[in-house]
Amino acid sequence: MSVKDLAHTNVSVMDQVGPNIIHHVSNSDISHAIIPISTHIFGIDFSVTKHVLMLWIVALLLITFIIIPVRKFIASGTIVPTGWMNAVEAIVKFIRDSIVRPNVGDKWVMTWSPLLLTFFFFILFANGIGMIPIFDVLGLVNRFVLGVPADPHGTHSGNIINGLLHGGVTATGNFNVTGALAVITFFSIMLAGTLAHGFIKHWKNLVPHGLPIPVYFLLIPIEIMGLFVKPFALTMRLAANMTGGHIALLALLSLMAIFGEMFDSTAAGIGVAFISVPMAAAITALEIIVVLVQAYVFTLLTAVFIGMAIHVHH
Amino acid sequence: MDSTLLIPIGMGLIVLGAGMGISKFTAAAAESIARQPEAADKITGAINLPLFLLEGVAILAEVFTFLMLILK
Repeated sequence: MSVKDLAHTNVSVMDQVGPNIIHHVSNSDISHAIIPISTHIFGIDFSVTKHVLMLWIVALLLITFIIIPVRKFIASGTIVPTGWMNAVEAIVKFIRDSIVRPNVGDKWVMTWSPLLLTFFFFILFANGIGMIPIFDVLGLVNRFVLGVPADPHGTHSGNIINGLLHGGVTATGNFNVTGALAVITFFSIMLAGTLAHGFIKHWKNLVPHGLPIPVYFLLIPIEIMGLFVKPFALTMRLAANMTGGHIALLALLSLMAIFGEMFDSTAAGIGVAFISVPMAAAITALEIIVVLVQAYVFTLLTAVFIGMAIHVHH
Repeated sequence: MDSTLLIPIGMGLIVLGAGMGISKFTAAAAESIARQPEAADKITGAINLPLFLLEGVAILAEVFTFLMLILK
C-alpha cells in the first residue's frame, strides 16, 4: 500500500523499497507511540509501541488458549482430555518427554518443564501471529471500505486504525524481546547449577578440575565468554530468523514495483508478479516451518544449557 | 571500488559455508540411517543440536554483514 501512496512523489521506487521493508519489520516509532506515556519512569520512555501491543495480544491469546483450558481441565478432574486440550497435551507431553527429560534428567524434569513450556508456547504464539496479516487486512478495510486516506510515515492523521498500521507484527523479530527471553535463560542456567550443586560448586564446575595451572589462565576467560555467548546466540538466532524471513518475503514482493518502474510500464510489474507471488507463497510456507522450528530450537537449547549446568561432565 | 560492494559477496560466502556444513550433516545422517534404520531416532536427536548451533553461527554472520551494510 505504501508504494502506491508514494507513487505521486518524485522519489525513485528503488530508494523507497529499503525503508519500506524496514518499516514493515521494525518496531513503530516511539515518538508516535500507540499509547503515549509522557512521564518517564527511571528515565525510560514506557510508551506502548507496536511490538509491545503485539506482546499484549500474545499474552491474551496464551491466557485464552492455554492457561484457561489447562486450568479447566485440571479442575474437572478427568484424565482423558477432549478437543483442544488433546492438542495441548500432545505438545506438552512432547516438550517434557523429548526435550526436557533427556537433557535435564529425571530428577529435575518437573522443576524445569514449566519454564521451558512457557518459552515454547510464548515463542510459538509470538512467531505465529507474525504470519497472520491482521493489520494489513485492517488497513485494507480502512482504506477501501471506510475510505480513510493513508497517513504518510511519521505523521499522525486519520483514525485509530491508521495509527496501528506502523511497524512489524512479529514481536520476536525485535532483538529486545528475544534479549529479554535470553536473559531469563542466562539466569536459569545459573539457578539450575546452584540448585543442583550449590553456589560455590556451580562456579567451580565451569572449568574441569585437575589440569595444569597455566591452562586455567586460558580456560577461565573462554568459559566466562561462553557464559555470555550462549544467551547472545539465542537472542540473535530467534530475532534474525523471524526478521529475515519477512525481509525476504517483502523483497520478493517489492520486485513488482521495482520492475514496474525500471521498464516504466505496468505490464512489466504484472509480468514479474507471476514469478514473485508464487515465490512469496513458497517462502510463506517455509516461514511456517521456521516459526515452529525456532520455537522448538529456543526451548531445546535452553534445556541443553540447563542440562549442561546440572550434569557437568569433565 | 566502493567497499560496500564486497558485503554481498561476504554474505554469499556465509551461505556457501553454512550450506556445505548442513549438507555434510544431512548426508552423514541419511547414510547412517540407511545403514541402521532402527537407530533413526537416536541419529536425528544427535544431529539436531549441532545443526542448530551451525545455523546460529550462520545467522550471526548474516546479522553482522547486514549491520555492516546499514551502519557503514
